Formats: sequence, C-alpha cells, structure tokens
Amino acid sequence: MSAATDIAFTPPELSTPRSQLLLVLADDELVTGHRASHWTGVAPSLEEDMAFSSIAQDEINHADLWYQVLIGLEVSGHAQRAAVDALGLGRAPDEYRHAIACERPPRDFAFTLARHWAYDRFDAVRLASLTTSSDEDVAAVAGKLQFEERYHLEHADQWFTRLTAGGDEALGRFREGLAVALPEALGLAEPFEGEDEAIETGLLPVSHPDLGARWLEIVAPLLAAADLDDLVPDEVPDEASGGRLGRHTTDFTEDVWPEMTGLYRAHPGARW
Amino acid sequence: MTAPRPMTTTLLDAVRDAVAGVPDPELPPVTLGMLGMIHDVTVGDGGDVRIELLPTFAGCPATEIMERDVVEAVGAVPGAGRVEVRFRFDPPWTPDRIDATGRERLREFGIAPPGGATGAPTADGRVTLPLMLGPASDPRPCPYCGSSDTVRESNFGPTPCRDVRFCEGCQQPFEAFKA
Repeated sequence: MSAATDIAFTPPELSTPRSQLLLVLADDELVTGHRASHWTGVAPSLEEDMAFSSIAQDEINHADLWYQVLIGLEVSGHAQRAAVDALGLGRAPDEYRHAIACERPPRDFAFTLARHWAYDRFDAVRLASLTTSSDEDVAAVAGKLQFEERYHLEHADQWFTRLTAGGDEALGRFREGLAVALPEALGLAEPFEGEDEAIETGLLPVSHPDLGARWLEIVAPLLAAADLDDLVPDEVPDEASGGRLGRHTTDFTEDVWPEMTGLYRAHPGARW
Repeated sequence: MTAPRPMTTTLLDAVRDAVAGVPDPELPPVTLGMLGMIHDVTVGDGGDVRIELLPTFAGCPATEIMERDVVEAVGAVPGAGRVEVRFRFDPPWTPDRIDATGRERLREFGIAPPGGATGAPTADGRVTLPLMLGPASDPRPCPYCGSSDTVRESNFGPTPCRDVRFCEGCQQPFEAFKA
C-alpha cells in the first residue's frame, strides 16, 4: 500500500562516476556497520554494546540513504526498497567499493577502537567536503549525516584520549591496534574508477587522495600529542589496497559478504 | 501561491492538520507537526495530495511507520484523493525544529528536550545547522526534578535520537533527545 507512488524503475547504471562515488560512500558505511554489529551482545560493557549496536544501525542506514541517492530520490515505496536491497545485498563481492580497512574483523576491542577512530576521522573529513558537492542530493545528505556522525566521532575521540592516557596495557594494546589500522585506513583515500570526471563536474569536491592528506593533517598532530608520532602512516600495505576497485580479501568474500547477503540470496525478492 | 479557491484552501487546511496530528510511533505524545518534520503540503485540483517530510534520524525505524500513518490520516480527510509522501533532505531536519509544545511533551515523557532555538526555520532554501556547532554533550536539566546537576553517561541510547544521562540531584538515569 503506502504512498502508491511506485514508479516504473530501471536498475541504475553502476559504471558512471556518480554511481561509483555513491557505492564508495554507501559500501564503506554498510561494511563498517556490519563489522560494528559483531559486538552486539559481546562488547566488554553494556554501554559499549549499546554504542556499537547503535553505530551499526546508524551506519547501515546511512548506506541505505546513499543507495537511495544513487537510485534517485524520486523513486519511492516498494520500488525504492527493492532497489536498495538489490544494491546493498544483491551484488557480487567484487562489485563492492568499500576500502579493505572496513572489512577487517573486529579482532580485540583495542583494534576495533583504533579502526573506529581512523575511520570516523576520515569520514568526518569526507562528509565536510561533500557538503559542497555540485550534486544537490549528495550535498544535502552529506550535511544530514555530518550531524549524526558527530556522535560517533565524539565516541571514538573519547576512547582515543582515554586509552592514550591510560596505563601500559591500555596504551600498549591500543598502539598495536593503531599500528595495523592506520596504514590500512590509507586505503580509504584511494580513488575510485572515474574519480577524475567526478572532480571535474564538482560532484566530488576533493579527491580521495587529497582527503587522505587532509585526514593526515588532522590525525598526525593528535598522534604526536599522544607520543605516538611513529605511528603516522605513510603508505597503504599492498594487502589493504584496491578496495575502491573491487578487490577484497577473504575477510569480506568469505566472512562479511556471505553472512550479510545470506538471507537475501536464500529468499530472492523477500520483503520485510 | 495566488488566491486559491476557498474550497481548496479548506481541504489544504484539513490535510495539513491531519499530517501535523500524526503521532510519532515511538513517542506518541509528540506529533509530526510538533517535531517540525513537515516541509510542504500541496493539494492538486483533483484533490491529490503531495506531502514532503523531513526525516529525523537516518537510522530511525519509525520513518516507514510514519509514512504509512500519514497516508492513512490524510486518506481519511473527506475530499482528499491520491496521497503521495516524499522524504527530502534539504533542508536537513535538526532537533531545533521541535516546537515549544513538542519540547514540553518530551520532557513530560521523561526525555530531556534539546535546547537551542525553537520553531521550524523557514523553508526557503538551505538552512545552517545551528546545533551542529555545539558539542553533542550540551547540558540538560533533569526532566524529573529539574536539577541542572546532570551528566551524560553515553552517546548512545535506546533509539538513534536519544542519549543517556544521569541526574545527581534525584539519582535517576534519564534520556535526552540528541541535539
């Protein structure tokens, strides 16, 4: 029932620069959300269980919103839901455009917090730049998400302060987490296919490599202030590179992807 | 809009009232009108209705229920034809759109309302996000005893729109609407 506004709908062409950008934005959030959900029920405290469960819910819905923008906001009702599900859950693993950093398992809580901080610091830089996109829908949604992501960033920053000011074990384990998460996070700053064109049209106001440089300008002083200068990353490791072009590790192809798409594949066209 | 016919104006008013009166499924004392979620309502010549809503939080599962409830409420207005509901993101919905009545209802419900300006900004073009500039941890008086001796315990609460606080005055935990 609902709005009775379902319109005839052709699946979107995914090879355009606009589609590729929106897949990058959505897939980063979708996979980050799924990994956050792996703390539900098993986080080290009730507050953190709620935090990561809420973050999971937020990020997966932010992915939903970016898929809606990709499809076109004029598509609504069941047509929209079906198209969003097809994008989020109906693609082959090599069609996803998230950075490999997002698909890494939570490992221990220290690594999770390190990756959370690296990712949300990057996300904040990227959303801020996207609010000036020449695409009105991209700019509007970026502004909306910026508002919501503040809560995630604050949470990540609080843990950064707490652990870097903590005792030897807290600092040691967080340092180990950052040493892996930070270089891998540079994979977030790799360009997608057609990025040059997206920059020319103003769709993407700042290139991913430049966003990476801006991210470093922010995280490097924070690391230095915590006596962690040696952890400022300079290069993405080969094994964490290529997510933007559809290259993924078994952490995605044999873990996140089968789990996240299982129900959708078992019941094609199911509605809930 | 220039000199609409009186009949249409009446129907438009009735439709507006119907939309504005739809309760939030998770916070029933508060309506979509009080939350400032209504961007625009238009009624065409044949009575077809188009409603533009501003979704609150992207992760809010109540959004779909609101859409359904709006269609039902407007469908019950005599003279209303086809009902179309669209969500838009520009201007972005922010908690400062919650009106004074909505804030008081939230408080009565045990949820500390956001501070900041009251009333929805005008719908002409993009608005700034005044509350975005402040810290998410803005202090809130306790909705039960009014004490300002409160702390935020967690950024995350039972729904995407609420965080969790504690009142040192009456020793009660309470929720606050995010701002």
